[in-house]
Amino acid sequence: MLPLEGLRIVDLTVWFQGPIATRLLADFGAEVIHLERPQGGDPARGVRTIRAVPVGDWNQYFLVNNRNKKSVAVDLNQEEGQAIVHRLVQESDAFVTNLAPEHLRRWKVDYEHLRAINPRLVYGMASGYGRFTPTRRPAFDLTVQALTGVMARLGEPGEPPIYLGMGSGDAMGGLLLAGGVMMALLARSHLGRGQLVEVSLYGAQLYLGAPTLQAYLASGDDRLRRQRSRLEPVNPLNNVFPSSDRWLVLCLPNEDGAWHALCETLERPELAADQRFATPQSREANCRPLTEALDDVISSRPAEHWLRRWRQRGFPCAPVNTLADLAADPQAWANDYLMRAYCPEIDQEVDVPGMALTLSRTPGQIRHLGPELGQDTEQVLVEVLGYSWDDVIRFKDKGVIL
Amino acid sequence: MAQALQGVTVVELVDGFWAGLGTTFMADFGARVVKVTAGASPLDGLAKAHRDVPPEHVKHLYHLVGRNKLGVALDLSGQEGQDLLRRLATAADVFVSDWPRRDLEALALDYESLRARREDIVYVTASGFGQKGPDADLPNLEELAAARIGLMPILPQPGRPPVYPGHGQIYASGLLLLGASIALWHRQRTGEGQWVDVSLLAAGMYGATLDVQAYLAMRSERFLRPISRYDAGNPMSGTYYLTSDGRWLTLTMPDTDRYWPRLAPLVGLDPADPRFDTHEKRCEVNRLELIRLLEEAFRRAPSDYWKEAMEEHDLSGDIIEDYSYPANDEFARLNGYVLSLDHPLMGDLKLLGFPIYMSETPASLDRLAPCPHQHTAQALRSLLGLSEEEVVALQEKGVIRP
Repeated sequence: MLPLEGLRIVDLTVWFQGPIATRLLADFGAEVIHLERPQGGDPARGVRTIRAVPVGDWNQYFLVNNRNKKSVAVDLNQEEGQAIVHRLVQESDAFVTNLAPEHLRRWKVDYEHLRAINPRLVYGMASGYGRFTPTRRPAFDLTVQALTGVMARLGEPGEPPIYLGMGSGDAMGGLLLAGGVMMALLARSHLGRGQLVEVSLYGAQLYLGAPTLQAYLASGDDRLRRQRSRLEPVNPLNNVFPSSDRWLVLCLPNEDGAWHALCETLERPELAADQRFATPQSREANCRPLTEALDDVISSRPAEHWLRRWRQRGFPCAPVNTLADLAADPQAWANDYLMRAYCPEIDQEVDVPGMALTLSRTPGQIRHLGPELGQDTEQVLVEVLGYSWDDVIRFKDKGVIL
Repeated sequence: MAQALQGVTVVELVDGFWAGLGTTFMADFGARVVKVTAGASPLDGLAKAHRDVPPEHVKHLYHLVGRNKLGVALDLSGQEGQDLLRRLATAADVFVSDWPRRDLEALALDYESLRARREDIVYVTASGFGQKGPDADLPNLEELAAARIGLMPILPQPGRPPVYPGHGQIYASGLLLLGASIALWHRQRTGEGQWVDVSLLAAGMYGATLDVQAYLAMRSERFLRPISRYDAGNPMSGTYYLTSDGRWLTLTMPDTDRYWPRLAPLVGLDPADPRFDTHEKRCEVNRLELIRLLEEAFRRAPSDYWKEAMEEHDLSGDIIEDYSYPANDEFARLNGYVLSLDHPLMGDLKLLGFPIYMSETPASLDRLAPCPHQHTAQALRSLLGLSEEEVVALQEKGVIRP
């Protein structure tokens, strides 16, 4: 059994922030109905390249982000299309969107309209800058992340700031929206009515910097908002280091015991005896010469040499992996963080990201990858909404549905 | 005012940052969260939140992981303290811990033991790498998970050291909220509890899911190495340009046809310039020439000029700001993303606020982070029904502080 079976969610989303919110709920059994325009559908279906690499025979961008969902193709520019959606909203628990407010109003699917149709509806909305921010600008992951300050503190001084990765902000916004929708559904049980839940790219992404941003907000310490060289870490024993063949992460506390243990594994007694590095304070003050000395030793041997020694001593350490290493990581496969799914487009099984959460009694599942455009339109209209086949044919003739 | 999670009691045995932030999201929406502290100081575990937070600022993180919670301090060295903790956990709807599973087993706070006492408990573990697989017992450290995802090598510019961003754990905080909410929903409908595991590895993979799923499908080398900003597939999207005052501008205009007529005049180019009059010419044929001209153009004026120009012309681009921007941004405050308090003892205090807006059951700051033992007696009375005499007896024996 899946924990969200019986929940019906109308999903008027595009690209990533909205679709991933409902995908998280669909993985756990919610019946998510992705509404798409009959001409071309969700623009994410049109993605052709990523990192300038062609997506190939199957467009994982759409098919993975929209797995476990149904697709209903309906033209919201027509009144009859709006009426179909209104009827669907009456039969649903939640409506989730990341479209611009002016589109939602024009199509009569804004919160005010839908609340009047179904007072128990939870209306989830992903925006760019937040409901109290007056702007008409388009909101993209990167341009909003630029405002949060999380990028500006990363990278070597003078180098360009660091983007946290493709869709990193959308993923946070979508996750918090899914959490907010679930809380609103729980609240509905005692409130007796639905409500508006809103998450923005800006608000969600501020949290991506939470430890350093909170420290800055509370202290105003300018060091926290600036780029910091790897050679000048807060704690010189917690850093990335170059071995002769790959980078390593080592996380030791800046304590004398850990320092002496590290020096032993490096076989450099002169470092342990160096007065510049004798105390936590002096190691912090001399972080640059210390890091350079560590780089010098560690880069003389391959990763395996250091990892074996450090693990014997119980030091937390790891090689800096690539996505290729992750794709083969037994830990990720053992926990269903990576899974295989059948892909009809190429008639074979493919590797895809699996479950982001592990629920012991009601684990999530991949029932199918993303739907074909409009594949469930007739089923939803006839079985869920009670339209007749004559209605369906009439709607098709007028182009209201696909 | 009604709160979304009113009536939900959470008992947390959490030392680290991200699991504590996850339950803060629940406390912000009205869950009664009892934060049990067993060690000497709640700051010990927070010191591992992010390597870039200097030791003197670790205390500021407690504002986030403590707010809206009840502080309960127990001496777990003896049977009586351990028994109190087991009774508190049994009285909860949700038990959350980031302790190693061996330590929880030693306290009979593993899932099987707790379920034997409370059949419908929602039991949440905040782990590093999941509950299965060869590395299930690795330390719960964000650096180790980040090293494993595959993002660190591709975030910087080519030739630069791998970047540790530290944001993967924040997805874990969000996943904790979502996982607990889904399990509560399931319990509400069926009466069944279960074990929810949230891990840093799963969370980091979730946040990087667009890169992960693209690599899994496409297996291209371009996902394993950094891509230079001079090698952008689209000069107008995902790119960084230096302005005359040394700050960076970033652009996200994937659909260049839409933006080029407005951008070209701003950078001194004719929209009809035959070198750049189609998307293909801008992004393929003359891509490097366009990057060069944009480099020159953006260096001719300061960041403030470009920021205004982007806003005025509805262009999708922005200056890469540092943390002083959200700290002083009126809209961060109006949306409740950053809270500004005038505290009688601490003076002006800023802290990260509420990334989820709910119209009927909004988040609220009811209490600042408590002293670790502040609500011990109160919680033992209200959750366990202890009498005043029993509480005093525990205080005299040193199991709890007066």
